[in-house]
Amino acid sequence: MTGSAIPMIETKRLVLRGPEPGDYPDFKATFTSYRARFMGGPLNPYESWMLYAAEIGHWTIRGYGMWMIHDKATDATYGMAGGWKPALWPEAEIAWVIWPEASGRGIALEATHAARRHFYRHLGWQTAVSYIDPKNLDSIRLAERLGAVRDPEAATVDGHDAVYRHPAPAKLEGSQLAHGIEMEIAHYCDPMFKPKGWALD
Amino acid sequence: MIQVPVLTTARLTLRAPGLADFEPLADFYASARSRHVGGPITREQAWRVLAAETGHWTLRGFGRWAVEESATGALVGLVGPWFPEGWPEPEIGWDLMNGHEGKGYATEAAFAALQGAYDLFGWTTAISLVAPRNAASRRVAHRLGASRDGSFTHVRFGEMEVWRHLSPEDLAAGGIEAYA
Repeated sequence: MTGSAIPMIETKRLVLRGPEPGDYPDFKATFTSYRARFMGGPLNPYESWMLYAAEIGHWTIRGYGMWMIHDKATDATYGMAGGWKPALWPEAEIAWVIWPEASGRGIALEATHAARRHFYRHLGWQTAVSYIDPKNLDSIRLAERLGAVRDPEAATVDGHDAVYRHPAPAKLEGSQLAHGIEMEIAHYCDPMFKPKGWALD
Repeated sequence: MIQVPVLTTARLTLRAPGLADFEPLADFYASARSRHVGGPITREQAWRVLAAETGHWTLRGFGRWAVEESATGALVGLVGPWFPEGWPEPEIGWDLMNGHEGKGYATEAAFAALQGAYDLFGWTTAISLVAPRNAASRRVAHRLGASRDGSFTHVRFGEMEVWRHLSPEDLAAGGIEAYA
Protein backbone atom coordinates (compact mmCIF):
# COMPACT_ATOMS: atom_id res chain seq x y z
CA MET A 1 0.00 0.00 0.00
CA THR A 2 1.21 3.49 -0.74
CA GLY A 3 0.47 6.63 1.24
CA SER A 4 -1.95 7.86 -1.36
CA ALA A 5 -3.83 4.57 -1.07
CA ILE A 6 -4.95 5.46 2.45
CA PRO A 7 -8.39 6.98 1.90
CA MET A 8 -9.01 10.53 3.01
CA ILE A 9 -12.18 11.41 4.93
CA GLU A 10 -13.60 14.90 5.19
CA THR A 11 -16.07 15.99 7.85
CA LYS A 12 -17.45 19.41 8.76
CA ARG A 13 -14.35 20.58 10.62
CA LEU A 14 -11.82 17.84 9.98
CA VAL A 15 -9.76 15.99 7.41
CA LEU A 16 -8.63 12.46 8.25
CA ARG A 17 -5.47 11.41 6.43
CA GLY A 18 -2.92 8.62 6.76
CA PRO A 19 -0.21 9.29 9.35
CA GLU A 20 2.76 11.04 7.77
CA PRO A 21 6.38 11.49 8.91
CA GLY A 22 5.85 15.22 9.54
CA ASP A 23 3.05 14.51 12.04
CA TYR A 24 5.33 12.55 14.35
CA PRO A 25 6.29 15.36 16.80
CA ASP A 26 2.60 15.87 17.70
CA PHE A 27 2.14 12.15 18.26
CA LYS A 28 5.27 11.96 20.38
CA ALA A 29 4.21 14.88 22.58
CA THR A 30 1.06 13.02 23.63
CA PHE A 31 2.44 9.49 23.86
CA THR A 32 5.40 10.49 26.02
CA SER A 33 3.03 12.36 28.38
CA TYR A 34 0.67 11.40 31.17
CA ARG A 35 -2.16 11.73 28.65
CA ALA A 36 -1.09 8.31 27.31
CA ARG A 37 -1.61 6.53 30.64
CA PHE A 38 -4.63 4.58 29.35
CA MET A 39 -2.86 3.64 26.11
CA GLY A 40 0.20 1.87 27.45
CA GLY A 41 2.13 5.07 28.15
CA PRO A 42 3.82 7.30 28.95
CA LEU A 43 6.34 5.89 26.47
CA ASN A 44 10.00 6.76 26.13
CA PRO A 45 11.02 8.41 22.82
CA TYR A 46 12.16 5.09 21.33
CA GLU A 47 8.90 3.31 22.20
CA SER A 48 6.90 6.27 20.94
CA TRP A 49 8.69 6.23 17.58
CA MET A 50 8.25 2.48 17.23
CA LEU A 51 4.53 2.80 17.99
CA TYR A 52 4.16 5.53 15.37
CA ALA A 53 5.95 3.33 12.84
CA ALA A 54 3.55 0.53 13.84
CA GLU A 55 0.53 2.81 13.30
CA ILE A 56 1.73 3.30 9.72
CA GLY A 57 2.65 -0.35 9.20
CA HIS A 58 -0.81 -1.39 10.43
CA TRP A 59 -2.29 0.17 7.28
CA THR A 60 0.00 -1.92 5.10
CA ILE A 61 -0.58 -5.12 7.02
CA ARG A 62 -4.35 -4.89 7.62
CA GLY A 63 -5.49 -2.57 4.85
CA TYR A 64 -7.01 -0.23 7.42
CA GLY A 65 -5.70 1.64 10.42
CA MET A 66 -5.65 4.88 12.36
CA TRP A 67 -6.03 8.19 10.56
CA MET A 68 -4.36 11.41 11.62
CA ILE A 69 -7.03 13.99 12.43
CA HIS A 70 -6.32 17.40 10.90
CA ASP A 71 -8.15 20.71 11.16
CA LYS A 72 -9.70 21.33 7.75
CA ALA A 73 -8.74 25.01 7.77
CA THR A 74 -5.31 25.05 9.43
CA ASP A 75 -4.13 21.45 8.86
CA ALA A 76 -3.08 21.31 12.54
CA THR A 77 -3.30 17.80 14.00
CA TYR A 78 -5.72 17.00 16.84
CA GLY A 79 -5.19 13.29 17.39
CA MET A 80 -5.87 9.96 15.71
CA ALA A 81 -8.95 7.84 15.12
CA GLY A 82 -9.70 4.70 13.16
CA GLY A 83 -9.36 0.93 13.21
CA TRP A 84 -6.83 -1.03 15.22
CA LYS A 85 -6.21 -4.78 15.33
CA PRO A 86 -2.75 -5.91 16.31
CA ALA A 87 -2.15 -9.59 17.09
CA LEU A 88 -4.17 -10.91 20.06
CA TRP A 89 -6.95 -8.33 19.62
CA PRO A 90 -10.08 -10.53 19.65
CA GLU A 91 -11.91 -8.23 17.20
CA ALA A 92 -11.27 -5.13 15.14
CA GLU A 93 -11.38 -2.10 17.37
CA ILE A 94 -12.50 1.45 16.74
CA ALA A 95 -9.95 3.54 18.63
CA TRP A 96 -9.17 7.19 19.20
CA VAL A 97 -6.69 9.48 20.89
CA ILE A 98 -6.98 13.27 21.15
CA TRP A 99 -4.05 15.53 21.96
CA PRO A 100 -4.71 17.13 25.37
CA GLU A 101 -4.83 20.70 24.06
CA ALA A 102 -7.50 19.70 21.49
CA SER A 103 -9.82 18.03 23.99
CA GLY A 104 -13.28 19.24 24.89
CA ARG A 105 -14.34 20.26 21.38
CA GLY A 106 -16.13 17.15 20.19
CA ILE A 107 -13.29 16.35 17.80
CA ALA A 108 -13.02 12.69 18.81
CA LEU A 109 -16.77 12.29 18.34
CA GLU A 110 -16.71 13.81 14.87
CA ALA A 111 -13.64 11.84 13.73
CA THR A 112 -14.69 8.52 15.22
CA HIS A 113 -18.23 8.77 13.88
CA ALA A 114 -16.81 9.34 10.38
CA ALA A 115 -14.26 6.53 10.70
CA ARG A 116 -16.91 4.07 11.86
CA ARG A 117 -19.18 5.02 8.97
CA HIS A 118 -16.26 4.43 6.57
CA PHE A 119 -15.64 0.93 7.93
CA TYR A 120 -19.34 0.09 7.78
CA ARG A 121 -19.98 1.49 4.30
CA HIS A 122 -16.76 0.76 2.47
CA LEU A 123 -15.14 -2.19 4.24
CA GLY A 124 -18.32 -4.08 5.08
CA TRP A 125 -17.74 -4.28 8.82
CA GLN A 126 -20.85 -5.70 10.51
CA THR A 127 -19.69 -4.97 14.04
CA ALA A 128 -16.90 -3.25 15.93
CA VAL A 129 -15.75 -2.89 19.52
CA SER A 130 -13.69 -0.50 21.58
CA TYR A 131 -11.40 -1.80 24.33
CA ILE A 132 -11.33 0.78 27.10
CA ASP A 133 -9.57 1.01 30.44
CA PRO A 134 -12.42 1.14 33.01
CA LYS A 135 -10.72 4.15 34.62
CA ASN A 136 -10.75 6.11 31.36
CA LEU A 137 -14.04 7.87 31.93
CA ASP A 138 -13.67 10.32 29.02
CA SER A 139 -13.32 7.41 26.62
CA ILE A 140 -16.23 5.51 28.15
CA ARG A 141 -18.39 8.60 27.76
CA LEU A 142 -17.35 8.93 24.14
CA ALA A 143 -18.15 5.25 23.48
CA GLU A 144 -21.60 5.79 24.99
CA ARG A 145 -22.22 8.96 22.97
CA LEU A 146 -21.35 6.88 19.90
CA GLY A 147 -24.07 4.42 20.94
CA ALA A 148 -21.70 1.66 22.02
CA VAL A 149 -22.77 -0.45 24.99
CA ARG A 150 -20.77 -2.57 27.39
CA ASP A 151 -20.59 -6.16 26.12
CA PRO A 152 -19.76 -8.35 29.13
CA GLU A 153 -19.79 -11.52 26.99
CA ALA A 154 -17.11 -10.36 24.56
CA ALA A 155 -13.48 -11.43 24.91
CA THR A 156 -11.18 -8.74 26.29
CA VAL A 157 -7.60 -8.04 25.23
CA ASP A 158 -6.02 -8.89 28.58
CA GLY A 159 -8.77 -8.91 31.19
CA HIS A 160 -8.03 -5.35 32.28
CA ASP A 161 -10.17 -3.65 29.67
CA ALA A 162 -13.91 -3.20 29.22
CA VAL A 163 -15.40 -4.10 25.83
CA TYR A 164 -17.87 -1.63 24.35
CA ARG A 165 -19.76 -2.87 21.29
CA HIS A 166 -20.77 -0.38 18.64
CA PRO A 167 -24.23 -0.49 17.09
CA ALA A 168 -24.31 -2.61 13.94
CA PRO A 169 -24.55 -0.75 10.61
CA ALA A 170 -28.24 -1.59 10.14
CA LYS A 171 -29.11 -0.32 13.61
CA LEU A 172 -27.13 2.89 13.15
CA GLU A 173 -28.02 3.93 9.61
CA GLY A 174 -30.72 6.62 9.66
CA SER A 175 -31.48 5.99 13.33
CA GLN A 176 -32.37 8.47 16.01
CA LEU A 177 -28.97 7.68 17.52
CA ALA A 178 -27.15 8.66 14.32
CA HIS A 179 -29.15 11.88 14.10
CA GLY A 180 -28.33 12.62 17.73
CA ILE A 181 -24.62 12.17 17.09
CA GLU A 182 -24.79 14.47 14.09
CA MET A 183 -26.72 17.05 16.10
CA GLU A 184 -24.13 16.98 18.86
CA ILE A 185 -21.34 17.42 16.30
CA ALA A 186 -23.27 20.34 14.79
CA HIS A 187 -23.42 21.97 18.22
CA TYR A 188 -19.66 21.69 18.59
CA CYS A 189 -19.21 23.21 15.13
CA ASP A 190 -21.11 26.28 16.31
CA PRO A 191 -18.52 28.75 17.65
CA MET A 192 -21.07 30.13 20.16
CA PHE A 193 -21.80 26.69 21.62
CA LYS A 194 -20.87 26.22 25.28
CA PRO A 195 -21.31 22.63 26.45
CA LYS A 196 -23.13 22.13 29.73
CA GLY A 197 -21.17 20.34 32.40
CA TRP A 198 -17.66 19.87 31.23
CA ALA A 199 -16.66 19.73 27.64
CA LEU A 200 -16.24 16.37 25.99
CA ASP A 201 -13.69 15.04 23.50
CA MET B 1 4.79 5.68 1.23
CA ILE B 2 7.59 3.97 -0.61
CA GLN B 3 8.20 1.14 -3.01
CA VAL B 4 10.55 -1.22 -1.21
CA PRO B 5 13.33 -2.32 -3.59
CA VAL B 6 14.07 -6.03 -3.96
CA LEU B 7 17.68 -7.20 -3.70
CA THR B 8 19.04 -10.65 -4.48
CA THR B 9 22.23 -12.38 -3.46
CA ALA B 10 23.57 -15.85 -4.27
CA ARG B 11 21.15 -17.58 -1.89
CA LEU B 12 18.81 -14.87 -0.60
CA THR B 13 16.05 -12.49 -1.67
CA LEU B 14 15.59 -9.24 0.27
CA ARG B 15 12.01 -7.91 -0.01
CA ALA B 16 9.42 -5.85 1.86
CA PRO B 17 8.24 -7.30 5.18
CA GLY B 18 4.57 -8.31 5.39
CA LEU B 19 1.97 -10.21 7.36
CA ALA B 20 3.27 -13.56 6.03
CA ASP B 21 6.43 -12.97 8.07
CA PHE B 22 4.59 -12.80 11.38
CA GLU B 23 4.83 -16.45 12.55
CA PRO B 24 8.60 -16.86 12.19
CA LEU B 25 9.10 -13.41 13.69
CA ALA B 26 6.84 -14.23 16.66
CA ASP B 27 8.75 -17.52 17.14
CA PHE B 28 12.03 -15.64 17.17
CA TYR B 29 10.76 -13.04 19.64
CA ALA B 30 9.30 -15.75 21.89
CA SER B 31 12.68 -17.46 22.11
CA ALA B 32 15.73 -16.70 24.21
CA ARG B 33 17.59 -15.95 20.97
CA SER B 34 15.89 -12.54 20.97
CA ARG B 35 17.47 -11.57 24.31
CA HIS B 36 20.02 -9.30 22.62
CA VAL B 37 17.39 -7.31 20.71
CA GLY B 38 14.83 -6.52 23.39
CA GLY B 39 13.13 -9.92 23.68
CA PRO B 40 11.59 -12.22 24.62
CA ILE B 41 8.31 -10.38 24.02
CA THR B 42 4.68 -11.46 23.59
CA ARG B 43 3.07 -12.24 20.24
CA GLU B 44 1.13 -9.01 20.53
CA GLN B 45 4.32 -7.01 20.95
CA ALA B 46 5.99 -8.97 18.14
CA TRP B 47 3.12 -7.99 15.83
CA ARG B 48 3.78 -4.35 16.64
CA VAL B 49 7.46 -4.87 15.88
CA LEU B 50 6.47 -6.22 12.46
CA ALA B 51 4.17 -3.24 11.91
CA ALA B 52 6.97 -0.90 12.99
CA GLU B 53 9.43 -2.58 10.58
CA THR B 54 6.94 -1.82 7.82
CA GLY B 55 6.21 1.74 8.95
CA HIS B 56 9.93 2.47 9.29
CA TRP B 57 10.16 2.44 5.48
CA THR B 58 7.57 5.23 5.29
CA LEU B 59 9.02 7.31 8.08
CA ARG B 60 12.66 7.17 6.97
CA GLY B 61 12.50 6.21 3.31
CA PHE B 62 14.50 3.10 4.15
CA GLY B 63 14.09 0.14 6.46
CA ARG B 64 14.90 -3.48 7.04
CA TRP B 65 14.21 -6.12 4.45
CA ALA B 66 12.56 -9.44 5.07
CA VAL B 67 15.23 -11.91 3.95
CA GLU B 68 14.00 -15.04 2.21
CA GLU B 69 15.94 -18.15 1.38
CA SER B 70 15.45 -18.02 -2.38
CA ALA B 71 15.29 -21.80 -2.78
CA THR B 72 12.55 -22.38 -0.18
CA GLY B 73 10.89 -19.00 0.40
CA ALA B 74 11.50 -19.38 4.15
CA LEU B 75 12.00 -16.20 6.15
CA VAL B 76 15.56 -16.37 7.47
CA GLY B 77 15.90 -12.88 8.93
CA LEU B 78 15.24 -9.18 9.04
CA VAL B 79 18.26 -7.28 7.83
CA GLY B 80 19.02 -3.76 6.74
CA PRO B 81 18.94 -0.04 7.48
CA TRP B 82 17.45 0.83 10.85
CA PHE B 83 17.15 4.26 12.43
CA PRO B 84 14.40 4.65 15.02
CA GLU B 85 14.32 7.64 17.31
CA GLY B 86 17.06 7.49 19.93
CA TRP B 87 19.58 5.67 17.71
CA PRO B 88 22.98 7.40 17.56
CA GLU B 89 23.04 7.22 13.75
CA PRO B 90 21.62 4.97 11.03
CA GLU B 91 22.69 1.36 11.42
CA ILE B 92 22.61 -1.88 9.49
CA GLY B 93 20.77 -4.34 11.70
CA TRP B 94 20.44 -8.10 11.41
CA ASP B 95 18.17 -10.55 13.21
CA LEU B 96 18.28 -14.19 12.11
CA MET B 97 15.10 -16.19 12.62
CA ASN B 98 15.24 -19.46 14.56
CA GLY B 99 16.81 -22.38 12.72
CA HIS B 100 18.71 -20.29 10.18
CA GLU B 101 21.88 -19.65 12.15
CA GLY B 102 25.31 -20.91 11.13
CA LYS B 103 24.89 -20.67 7.36
CA GLY B 104 26.40 -17.24 6.78
CA TYR B 105 23.01 -15.77 5.93
CA ALA B 106 23.38 -12.73 8.22
CA THR B 107 26.70 -11.81 6.62
CA GLU B 108 25.40 -12.38 3.09
CA ALA B 109 22.25 -10.31 3.65
CA ALA B 110 23.95 -7.55 5.65
CA PHE B 111 26.61 -7.14 2.95
CA ALA B 112 23.89 -6.65 0.33
CA ALA B 113 22.02 -4.31 2.69
CA LEU B 114 25.14 -2.23 3.32
CA GLN B 115 25.73 -1.87 -0.41
CA GLY B 116 22.05 -1.00 -0.78
CA ALA B 117 22.28 1.69 1.90
CA TYR B 118 25.21 3.28 0.09
CA ASP B 119 23.91 2.88 -3.48
CA LEU B 120 20.13 3.28 -3.07
CA PHE B 121 19.83 5.56 -0.06
CA GLY B 122 23.00 7.63 -0.38
CA TRP B 123 24.50 6.83 3.00
CA THR B 124 28.12 7.92 3.36
CA THR B 125 28.83 5.86 6.49
CA ALA B 126 27.11 3.12 8.47
CA ILE B 127 27.38 1.46 11.85
CA SER B 128 25.96 -1.61 13.50
CA LEU B 129 25.12 -1.90 17.17
CA VAL B 130 26.09 -5.14 18.88
CA ALA B 131 25.02 -6.19 22.37
CA PRO B 132 28.17 -6.94 24.40
CA ARG B 133 27.12 -10.57 25.02
CA ASN B 134 26.13 -11.23 21.42
CA ALA B 135 29.24 -12.99 20.15
CA ALA B 136 27.56 -14.29 17.00
CA SER B 137 26.53 -10.79 15.97
CA ARG B 138 30.03 -9.44 16.69
CA ARG B 139 31.46 -12.10 14.36
CA VAL B 140 29.13 -10.92 11.59
CA ALA B 141 30.31 -7.32 12.06
CA HIS B 142 33.90 -8.51 11.99
CA ARG B 143 33.37 -10.60 8.86
CA LEU B 144 31.86 -7.60 7.11
CA GLY B 145 35.08 -5.69 7.75
CA ALA B 146 33.62 -3.36 10.39
CA SER B 147 35.78 -2.08 13.21
CA ARG B 148 34.97 -1.11 16.77
CA ASP B 149 34.07 2.56 17.19
CA GLY B 150 33.11 3.18 20.81
CA SER B 151 29.94 2.40 22.70
CA PHE B 152 26.40 3.68 22.97
CA THR B 153 23.92 3.36 25.82
CA HIS B 154 20.28 3.04 24.80
CA VAL B 155 17.32 3.89 27.02
CA ARG B 156 15.91 0.37 26.70
CA PHE B 157 18.69 -1.89 25.38
CA GLY B 158 21.48 -0.63 27.64
CA GLU B 159 25.10 -0.51 26.56
CA MET B 160 25.86 -1.59 23.01
CA GLU B 161 29.07 -1.75 21.01
CA VAL B 162 29.28 0.51 17.98
CA TRP B 163 30.89 -1.13 14.94
CA ARG B 164 31.65 1.07 11.95
CA HIS B 165 31.43 -0.44 8.50
CA LEU B 166 33.75 0.00 5.54
CA SER B 167 33.15 3.30 3.76
CA PRO B 168 31.50 3.27 0.32
CA GLU B 169 34.95 3.75 -1.22
CA ASP B 170 36.55 0.90 0.70
CA LEU B 171 33.61 -1.32 -0.07
CA ALA B 172 33.90 -0.52 -3.79
CA ALA B 173 37.68 -1.09 -3.64
CA GLY B 174 37.37 -4.73 -2.72
CA GLY B 175 34.75 -5.16 -0.05
CA ILE B 176 34.89 -7.99 2.37
CA GLU B 177 37.16 -10.10 0.19
CA ALA B 178 39.99 -7.60 0.64
CA TYR B 179 39.60 -7.54 4.39
CA ALA B 180 38.81 -11.16 5.16
